[in-house]
Amino acid sequence: MALLKVKFDQKKRVKLAQGLWLMNWFSVLAGIIIFSLGLFLKIELRKRSDVMNNSESHFVPNSLIGMGVLSCVFNSLAGKICYDALDPAKYARWKPWLKPYLAICVLFNIVLFLVALCCFLLRGSLENTLSQGLKNGMKYYRDTDTPGRCFMKKTIDMLQIEFKCCGNNGFRDWFEIQWISNRYLDFSSKEVKDRIKSNVDGRYLVDGVPFSCCNPSSPRPCIQYQITNNSAHYSYDHQTEELNLWVRGCRAALLSYYSSLMNSMGIVTLLIWLFEVTITIGLRYLQTSLDSVSNPEEPESESEGWLLEKSVPETWKAFLESVKKLGKGNQVEVEGADAGQTPEAS
Amino acid sequence: MAPVLPLVLPLQPRIRLAQGLWLLSWLLALAGGLILLCSGHLLVQLRHLGTFLAPSCQFPALPQASLAAGAVALGTGLVGAGASRASLNAALYPPWRGVLGPLLVAGTAGGGLLVLALGLALALPGSLDEALEEGLGTALAHYRDTEVPGHCQDKRLVDELQLRYHCCGRHGYKDWFGVQWVSSRYLDPSDQDVVDRIQSNVEGLYLTDGVPFSCCNPHSPRPCLQNHLSDSYAHPLFDPRQPNQNLWAQGCHEVLLEHLQDLAGTLGSMLAVTFLLQALVLLGLRYLQTALEGLGGVIDGEGETQGYLFPSGLKEMLKTAWLQGWVARRPAPEEAPPGEAPPKEDLSEA
Repeated sequence: MALLKVKFDQKKRVKLAQGLWLMNWFSVLAGIIIFSLGLFLKIELRKRSDVMNNSESHFVPNSLIGMGVLSCVFNSLAGKICYDALDPAKYARWKPWLKPYLAICVLFNIVLFLVALCCFLLRGSLENTLSQGLKNGMKYYRDTDTPGRCFMKKTIDMLQIEFKCCGNNGFRDWFEIQWISNRYLDFSSKEVKDRIKSNVDGRYLVDGVPFSCCNPSSPRPCIQYQITNNSAHYSYDHQTEELNLWVRGCRAALLSYYSSLMNSMGIVTLLIWLFEVTITIGLRYLQTSLDSVSNPEEPESESEGWLLEKSVPETWKAFLESVKKLGKGNQVEVEGADAGQTPEAS
Repeated sequence: MAPVLPLVLPLQPRIRLAQGLWLLSWLLALAGGLILLCSGHLLVQLRHLGTFLAPSCQFPALPQASLAAGAVALGTGLVGAGASRASLNAALYPPWRGVLGPLLVAGTAGGGLLVLALGLALALPGSLDEALEEGLGTALAHYRDTEVPGHCQDKRLVDELQLRYHCCGRHGYKDWFGVQWVSSRYLDPSDQDVVDRIQSNVEGLYLTDGVPFSCCNPHSPRPCLQNHLSDSYAHPLFDPRQPNQNLWAQGCHEVLLEHLQDLAGTLGSMLAVTFLLQALVLLGLRYLQTALEGLGGVIDGEGETQGYLFPSGLKEMLKTAWLQGWVARRPAPEEAPPGEAPPKEDLSEA
């Protein structure tokens, strides 16, 4: 009662081996694709690690890179095996290694599937690191003369221009931090002194945003300062004005960018996983059909290929038995020794 | 009837010629593909930058011509590779015999197209200067006209240009001082300062010493200063006469000119290389064709044959062509059977 038995004659076996050889080489290409996807994601995460507190998790790109390399190695090996499978002399060399190799392939497929799932599921941790990192980035916006943080202004400005976003959740985040350095404030001006005195921490807070928040699609020149003061600007109502500044927060913008990147990578990995499963099944059929050639002197004869020798419950039982035997192996020997000794004693 | 530039081709040199041709044809196909990509890229760039070039500018003709030339070069390369591969195999050659003639004609036309595109690549970038001057000037002047049909996108396009290409104004940020870039709709008529400025200007324009936000340079250590740029006392620690990183220093005219001239230069050099390759491939194919015709289409023949460019000198060719045309026209008034004239032409051509 083998699982999914298929009859193979010589021609069919040859076709199977040839087809598998071709598929394995395509799969090496697919492995290279996964590797480059992982590399691309790693570079993208590195590029913006400044706004992610340098603490983002590189688990997804690292695992994609590892899976890509492993896929290349395994599939080129499988291609070599399929190429040799048509020659009985060469195949005899590979015969003892095929069963453990197939077990490793099955394991590899399971891990590939898990990695593909991870691509979809790990955006939650990214959200937290982004939120923390952006908050810190905005705090250090004015520290352009502090070593180690002098690049933060440029990073945040270019981020807001490129991703068309403003602040952490929205432009009002800029109202709560002092983003103008004290060096450029005129302390002899009454207005500046009043503002600083009226603030509990002595910070200079304005209802203004940096220039990088400005939206070029606005019909009027950008209003950056006194945003909430309608009377400061002619014909302006800050509550109905939508085109003046970017409305989206940078956290949402970056999150959606990385999510779409990881989702598409996950889909590609799933497709490649399906391809790998097909290859593993084909390799299993090839192995069983070549092993079950009844008369080794007649390589042209018909044979049968199957997925599992017995049905699934029986195979599972046999597997459990073999595991139990391994565990009981020592015990049986000890009992035998005892039984051997007691008849001697008695 | 001496053939022009004859070359004796025994079997081994014929095979070498065919193999070398195969390689050259693939190189030609590669070069044609690269030209297609490069001119496609240039076309896409021109679509974005079209507003900043004067409408009378002929520059878009360059990528269009090189697109056509690249396509012909790609086709010539692919067919040439197939033909030279087939000429090594006696069984495959017969269907290719009829293809080689039209291929050579098409290839020569393609070569002409390549020369035309190369000429455009050398001549057109000179006209870019004036076109950019006019186009950028119009775009800056209409920056404020966000509600005038036909110019409502100018503000967004100029802002995006300055943000992406890191430039400000036409030749520098002071160009913005001479243009009213704030629309009158957003000027408060009751504000004394506004009224003063408008009255003091001859044309009634509202001019300020300020620039739009897109001129701001993110590398500056201080938050961007956009207004009162000529006034040394308006901002603490700011001296407009000192070089600073506050705004982008380059003008958009220079940046765009360099960008487009670089693209045209790259395209021009690729066109030159492709023309060379195409000429070599066509010459080789012609010699191969005439040599194999001399053998009567039997490729493996060990005999020596002669390959040539033209069966006879230029004067004799023109004479034969004229006679053929005369013979073709004569039967009509005499009502001779038209079936005689075409076979005569075929015999004299073969």
